[in-house]
Amino acid sequence: MSNVLTVRGLKKSYGAHAALAGIDFEVRAGEVFALIGPNGAGKTTTLRIAATLLTSTAGEITFLDRDLRKEPDFVREKISYLPEEAGAYKDMKGMDYLRFMAGFYGRDAGEEKEFVERAAAITELGNRLKTKVGTYSKGMTRKLLLARALMTRPVLAILDEPTSGLDVLNALDVREIIRRYVKEGTSVLLSSHNMLEIEFLSDRVGLIDKGRILDTGTPDELKAKHAAKNLEEVFRSSLR
Amino acid sequence: MKRFKNLLQKEVKELVTKQLVISLAFTVLLFNAIGQISKKEVQKAVGIQTISVLDQDGSEGSRALLKGLESARFKIVDQTGKGKDEALASAKAGESKLLLVVPAGFGDSLAELKPSEIETYSFMRSFSLIGARGQVVVQSVISALNETLSNNFLAAKLPGADPVSLKRPIKSRDFVVVRDRTAEGSAGLIAGMLSQQSMLIPIVLMMIVIYSSQMVISAVAMEKQNKTLETLLTVPIKRTSIITAKMFAAGLVGLISAGVYMFAFKGFIGGMGEEVAAAGARASGTALMQKLGLTFDTTGYLILGLSLFLAILVALAMAMILGVLAEDFRSAQNMIMPLMFMVMIPYFISLFADIDTLSLPVKILVLAIPFSHPFLVSQNIYLGHYGMIAAGLGYMLLVFIVLVIYAARIFSTDKILTMKLRFGKKKAPAA
Ligand SMILES: Nc1ncnc2c1ncn2[C@@H]1O[C@H](COP(=O)(O)OP(=O)(O)OP(=O)(O)O)[C@@H](O)[C@H]1O
Ligand SMILES: [Mg+2]
Repeated sequence: MSNVLTVRGLKKSYGAHAALAGIDFEVRAGEVFALIGPNGAGKTTTLRIAATLLTSTAGEITFLDRDLRKEPDFVREKISYLPEEAGAYKDMKGMDYLRFMAGFYGRDAGEEKEFVERAAAITELGNRLKTKVGTYSKGMTRKLLLARALMTRPVLAILDEPTSGLDVLNALDVREIIRRYVKEGTSVLLSSHNMLEIEFLSDRVGLIDKGRILDTGTPDELKAKHAAKNLEEVFRSSLR
Repeated sequence: MKRFKNLLQKEVKELVTKQLVISLAFTVLLFNAIGQISKKEVQKAVGIQTISVLDQDGSEGSRALLKGLESARFKIVDQTGKGKDEALASAKAGESKLLLVVPAGFGDSLAELKPSEIETYSFMRSFSLIGARGQVVVQSVISALNETLSNNFLAAKLPGADPVSLKRPIKSRDFVVVRDRTAEGSAGLIAGMLSQQSMLIPIVLMMIVIYSSQMVISAVAMEKQNKTLETLLTVPIKRTSIITAKMFAAGLVGLISAGVYMFAFKGFIGGMGEEVAAAGARASGTALMQKLGLTFDTTGYLILGLSLFLAILVALAMAMILGVLAEDFRSAQNMIMPLMFMVMIPYFISLFADIDTLSLPVKILVLAIPFSHPFLVSQNIYLGHYGMIAAGLGYMLLVFIVLVIYAARIFSTDKILTMKLRFGKKKAPAA
């Protein structure tokens, strides 16, 4: 299987502070790769670099065998990014927001309509899509944003804590949706603090701490290696 | 192009809020109403006014005075026969703006060529300038009478001599020279009219700069505050397109709102009405300026327009950068202050000083501010300093290009997400 995203020796410093001290991992086609690690480990920084928002200090990062730094416009066409803390334009109606975002990706009006309809179905917001985003609850906004990230069926969806702020049922729902899109061909790079979520969602996991990848593998591999019952124990034992 | 249009549409929609439309409409209505009211007041003041007259003299001289007032379109209420206090009280109770008392002996002392006194009592029921107009007109009637009387006197005492030249033995004919043209007229009048004309440039410029900059700053700051910037930056659209769409939208909406405000302001000023005398002076001044070549031809207007346009572009680019630096909407509002000062400085300097007579460091400072140049354009066109104009335009273009390149660089590096500047309040340190 070929790689969608390949990261080698990636470093990132904010001034003197090294947020990433050289990390390696890859996201293979058709898989969900999850980064787990404590607060400040460098997850968001990694995802932002992959989403062409930040530039790396050193190292290589390729998307579909193309240099991500050199061809950000190519990458932006094919990925979608759900930021950790994101919002939508408050004065827009939910539907108008989806239409606006679809306007950047669709090749024609027909495709745009298809994107918007797909997103509307994901949000399950129904008539509320006709009201302004400013009136939505946190979870409703999150679902709207997730829907817009998936509606274009991107080659790679980069999701920073996709279910943060969602209730149990909505979180379950979102996980199902992500899995469905993976089946249809989208690869996913995500970060999460929810070990349950990661066990359910991810094909492979990268354990990250202080800007370094400590371990990579499938949840089962990691559990076996650390002689742990679940990922939470793996997390604790590898951070020690 | 489709993506750019998509973004531009959103930017314009975002800026044209209900509040903006309402405040624009409100301003237009308000200014218009004020204009209408003051127009009526001016008409009232210019129209026939009522004054009361107490003629205690009843001589030929006093009758001549009253006749003069009548021909100056005053409606005269005769209080003759009453005592002074009584006349005052009755005039005050009525509509009269003023009571004129001609004391007994007025005619006699006139005939004897002694100084003759009259008294005026103005009833100030309000303190507006228009309210005091009655007295001004009475004064001018009196001075016209003075002129006639003294002419008559001189003619009687010195027959054969021209009283006018007797009173003003030295006469000056005033000429104004501008470049190679000479015309008869007063330099003061020209300076007054020019400064009145160039007043308009800074007002227009300031309005547009303030509106557009505020809009472009908030366009960026709102993206940050609503946490939509990160998403927008991963969307397949060029960073320069994002910048241009925002600048274009802000420039457009700013220009339109400034236009609406100017229109409202004109209604307000227009309502004040121009006095017939002032209009006359203006007409003769305009003729004089035409003779001196102090008018704009099409090229002149084009140059001025280009200069204003460049100034707006510079302001927008600066605002863009300030907006990127601002953390949220509120600090963005504070960011606009330095920009406004930059427009104010050349304005005040142009009011009080002559750029050519400033000391060299101050002059360099003033010329370094891009917004100074539109102020200097009209002067330079009149004086034929085309080199200066070209240098000013070139300088503004250069500043604009540098700023846009800088803005685009910020937008395509980490800086847009990591750069932060705070004005005013310091954030409480994070726990
Ligand atoms: N703009 C910035 N300027 C300076 N330092 C930063 C900036 N953004 C992140 N950092 C630092 O980089 C490190 C990694 O941060 P990052 O946001 O990637 O962590 P994270 O793994 O996503 O944490 P969390 O689980 O809390 O979201 C942290 O030490 C953080 O302080
Ligand atoms: Mg994070």
